[in-house]
Amino acid sequence: MIIDITVNNVLKQVQARSGDRLVDILRNELSISSLQPDCLRGSCGRCFVFMDGRLVHSCLVPAFKAKGSTISTYEAMADSADAREILLAFEKAQCSPCAFCRTSKVMAVADLLARNPLPDKEEILRQLDMVSCPCSDPVSLVDAVGIAAEMRNKRKFNRADK
Amino acid sequence: MNGRERYETLPILGALRFPGMVHASTIRSTVARAKNFSLPREQLPTGYIRVIAADLAREETDLAYADDFPLFAVDSVSYKGQALGLIIGPDPGLCDELAKAVRAEYDEEEPEKEWESFSSSQIACRYAIEYGNVDFAFSKSPRKERSVYRNGIFDHDYSEPMGALANWEYDKMAIYCASQWPDQVRKAVAAAVKVSEVDIVVRPTHLGRSLDGRLWFPSYVACQAAIAAKLCRKPVKILYTREEDFLYTLKQARSAVTIKSASDDDGRLQALDIKIIINIGVFNPNAQEIVHQAAAAVTGIYSCPAIRIEAYAIRSNILPLGAMGSIGATHAFFSIEAHLNHLAKLAGKTPAEIKTINMLSKGFSNFGVHPLDSDIPFAKFHKKLEMISDYRRKYASYELVKKRDSGSRDGIIRGIALTVGYQTGRSFSGKLSMNAYNVETTLDRNLDLVISTQSSIASENLRAMWRATAAAALSIPESSVHFASPNSDTTLPCGPLTLSRGASIVNKLIERSCRAIQKKRFRESLPIVAKAQTRISRDSALSSGASLGGMLFDSASWCGTAVEIEIDRLSGEPQPIAVWMVIDAGRIVKKELALSSLRSSIISALNLCISRDFDPEKPEGQYLSHGQLRLANLPFIGIEFMDSERTTVSKGLGELPFLTIPAAFHSALTQALGVEPRQLPLSGSEILRLLESQ
Repeated sequence: MIIDITVNNVLKQVQARSGDRLVDILRNELSISSLQPDCLRGSCGRCFVFMDGRLVHSCLVPAFKAKGSTISTYEAMADSADAREILLAFEKAQCSPCAFCRTSKVMAVADLLARNPLPDKEEILRQLDMVSCPCSDPVSLVDAVGIAAEMRNKRKFNRADK
Repeated sequence: MNGRERYETLPILGALRFPGMVHASTIRSTVARAKNFSLPREQLPTGYIRVIAADLAREETDLAYADDFPLFAVDSVSYKGQALGLIIGPDPGLCDELAKAVRAEYDEEEPEKEWESFSSSQIACRYAIEYGNVDFAFSKSPRKERSVYRNGIFDHDYSEPMGALANWEYDKMAIYCASQWPDQVRKAVAAAVKVSEVDIVVRPTHLGRSLDGRLWFPSYVACQAAIAAKLCRKPVKILYTREEDFLYTLKQARSAVTIKSASDDDGRLQALDIKIIINIGVFNPNAQEIVHQAAAAVTGIYSCPAIRIEAYAIRSNILPLGAMGSIGATHAFFSIEAHLNHLAKLAGKTPAEIKTINMLSKGFSNFGVHPLDSDIPFAKFHKKLEMISDYRRKYASYELVKKRDSGSRDGIIRGIALTVGYQTGRSFSGKLSMNAYNVETTLDRNLDLVISTQSSIASENLRAMWRATAAAALSIPESSVHFASPNSDTTLPCGPLTLSRGASIVNKLIERSCRAIQKKRFRESLPIVAKAQTRISRDSALSSGASLGGMLFDSASWCGTAVEIEIDRLSGEPQPIAVWMVIDAGRIVKKELALSSLRSSIISALNLCISRDFDPEKPEGQYLSHGQLRLANLPFIGIEFMDSERTTVSKGLGELPFLTIPAAFHSALTQALGVEPRQLPLSGSEILRLLESQ
């Protein structure tokens, strides 16, 4: 079947087989390299995309369900102020997510801060729990998200909270 | 730069693609032991081929990864999931489907599952040592105890599933894979495709978390990929699915440690008779190292005048099993700590009291030679841990609750325990390639330092530590320190980067080579190159107690660990509430990074204690259901460093959580339950059964 899909602000027509998942067409047909699908069960979080503005596991979305939707991958946000701040915050907190989960963690943090500019520790851990990679320790992850939130709030609202 | 490429992060195997590249999926045996297997010829779609051992007979290849472990099964099958061949083609998904659909025919045989009472043909490696008159001590001692401690099979949960890619680069073959030991990959692949080692280039990919599970297995997959690439003259990638990785790749070995002790009325040890049996599954090339490490760790930090140790690595018809975290020492250390707790209970003493009276002290040694030149810092660690964990109050409270409501599931079921342990840099391997580390540093005209070593496959945290060491030695900013790509054609061969020990050796070498540059810096023109290498030649046979005794506390880092747990009243699952660690690992180069690495290791070590035991007999269905701590459910973790300012020497610390946490966790579990479990991990239902048995 042919699927019309907007990926990173570009309208694409892709061929999908029945049983294909969104992650399959993004990786195989559109060569989106930031996706590192691993478990294919919605557990590892390495295939995160924003689908119509919501963070989803692209391995759990049947390709036909993505018809007509707007997909945004890490490539679209890589140069954004949000992503730059989150990466800088990781660096400042001496938290270095590995190459396998870095993009997913950035997307998860961006999603959290967009919904809640001042998340508490529990919310941060709950959100980052969606990326099951044990490379970074939880304390520095929480610190990093706090720093990222501060930078974001300063930029967006010209204030540094907390 | 000498033409070397600098790098920040290594490529990810899963993301690598080359023009004309094809994928290979493994055809696996569905039985554990069989003879005369045959694979029916099946029509494959155009562009897909099947490769089995018989097809490779005419090729210039060596199908024996080791004498008793072929790359592809030839006549017989030795474990469920063994590679019978490959399906090679352009679509990885279709390759997987075709490989799964292959139905081999076998003359099935009864697999050797038994390993605790084994036959002589199952022995892969044996090590025995005796010091003092053990039998006499047993005949004279008033108290004799015997207990068996077991641990389960545990999955490493690698960051990326196992795989390898073989590509043609002009006249050489390039191997891309995530291995802790790139030099071993090069040697193995060269042997498999029968070429010189210089014709093979290993380009390491991002390693992620490996926990000593990627010491040799990646080279086995790389050999298969290389043979496939040689056969079809195209780049070939093998990348296991996550499920395949879980079911068929290397796991932590299962072990049983039997400790017979003789002690006097005060609980002072008079003799230890210990038998260690480690089930290495079908094969493990590092069996000897694992056995030696276990034997060295099994006396813990305790003194005993008569010791007999017999240690075995046993083969069985299950998947390959091996090291995790501390290369065999975890099982042994957990066993002796559990046994001391058992003796404490029998003697009516607290664990700390019985441990104190049995502690090795300055001037004494277990094997009559190499007496300790300082006391074991047990009291210091104990005191500090008691203070930061509020141990005494909690221990007394939980004892009180237990005595009032013995066996009850109504109140809180909690336990807390302390243990003191150590990590050493000892290596018993006689293989020089395993102990030789090389570092080359170049200070160029821009005052940028380039560190060239195969060990730079390490995590960003480790590289940051090495960067800080080099920057401090040369008084240059850390941003001026770079790493050369760890490719085997541009870096000198290096031993394995294990969880912790290789890292501290490389740190010393970097410091040494930077100091050499610093001496020449204002006398010679830039660039200046300096090399440093280490070569630890050991007697691989470890024939006497003297050779073992001399290495027991070789470059030891010390730590005290306290673990507090709570048992879920409904499910019986043990949940860690808090972990405290006090560590003396010499100079800490980067405190924040060390803390961060330790916290990650602590979580992994706790997972060892709470995850479900992997059952190799019925592996299906266990995938992603083996239980892991989630971020949202983590215990409090407190870490303190002791005496890190007093010394300039850095020692390894990454293995400390793996050594001490299982022992402390088991001890806390014992307090919580009121009965001594003899194995780790324990499932919720087993814990409930123990509670109800009271």
